[in-house]
Amino acid sequence: MKCSKCGNPKVIIKRKQSGQLLCKDCFIESIEKKVIRTVRKEKLLDKGDKVLVALSGGKDSVTTLEILNSFREMNVIDICAVTVDEGIDNYRQDGVDIAIRHAERLGIEHKVVSLKDEYGITLDEIMQMENHKGSCTYCGVFRRTIINKAAREMGATKIATGHNLDDEVQAIMMNYLEGNTDNLTKLGAKTESKAKEFTVKIKPLREIPEREIGLYVVAKDLEVHFDSCPYAMQSFRGEVSEVINQLAENHPTIKYSTLRGYDKIKGILKDEFKKDFAHGRCEKCGEPSANRLCKACSFLEELGCD
Amino acid sequence: MSFTLKYKNIDEERQLPNENYTIADLLKELGLSAQTIVSKQNGELVIEDTVIKDDDDIQLVQIIYGG
Repeated sequence: MKCSKCGNPKVIIKRKQSGQLLCKDCFIESIEKKVIRTVRKEKLLDKGDKVLVALSGGKDSVTTLEILNSFREMNVIDICAVTVDEGIDNYRQDGVDIAIRHAERLGIEHKVVSLKDEYGITLDEIMQMENHKGSCTYCGVFRRTIINKAAREMGATKIATGHNLDDEVQAIMMNYLEGNTDNLTKLGAKTESKAKEFTVKIKPLREIPEREIGLYVVAKDLEVHFDSCPYAMQSFRGEVSEVINQLAENHPTIKYSTLRGYDKIKGILKDEFKKDFAHGRCEKCGEPSANRLCKACSFLEELGCD
Repeated sequence: MSFTLKYKNIDEERQLPNENYTIADLLKELGLSAQTIVSKQNGELVIEDTVIKDDDDIQLVQIIYGG
């Protein structure tokens, strides 16, 4: 067995979807080229952008930072990063420390924002309450709000997240199966909102399978936090993911075809189903909100944290 | 004929059941999915079709976690 590109016998991946065999160097190059191709094809970056990377210290965000940094080295963009510390004992601190080390290694502006500092409560404390709605509900909303705020404070023009091919395909299928046409209009490589307070979000890893991102960080010896969130549970996303992975065993291109199919109908979905943006402001924090309170503030009120 | 397995907290010597025993066979025996694991043979990344040899050092790294 030899690398399909250079003939090196030390093959590290056999791509089922294409039959391609790659050695370490050719694999690393193929991932980096593919991300750069996505950035160009989807016009994710403009010269002079300041990109805030949502950096958890996990494989996806570290890969996003690593590859976007090549654009920074070419003086195309500037990069900063934010790490959200949700307050999960025996889990989050390792990721935070790794994120800090990567930011220092690359010499980029970085800040760590904790739920405790921002809202006076940790996720662990929320999960001790009787009336909680499940960890992922709070984590998602608070994290999004913190990242958006950080982008404004740090003067970022784009927010880059580490969503990979598997994440994106799961989201497409979940929303389709749930009939959630509103959420279906919000997916894609680049998400813009008319509300100027919301920074444009980009997903440079959207076409890279999750396993290949894992292989990339190991191949490049990048320090990442490989661990499972203690609150991870059997979710609908998990069930959908299992079905898709099962199908992919015998149909190795199915994740790509799902993504391509969605991309073809995305425009029509947006024209047909996109809701108007929130014109109002949250009474408490001033963030854009369709209701009296934004999601984060209404959760805080329910939890008695206001 | 044996090899060393390193996986999370496991660091143990295991017997090679036959001459054509691959990393894929090992993953199956351990109940692990090749989708969530990358494998190293004597410190170098390899594919799951790789045959494990006598005295090999096999390291499995879990790269995908649920949630």
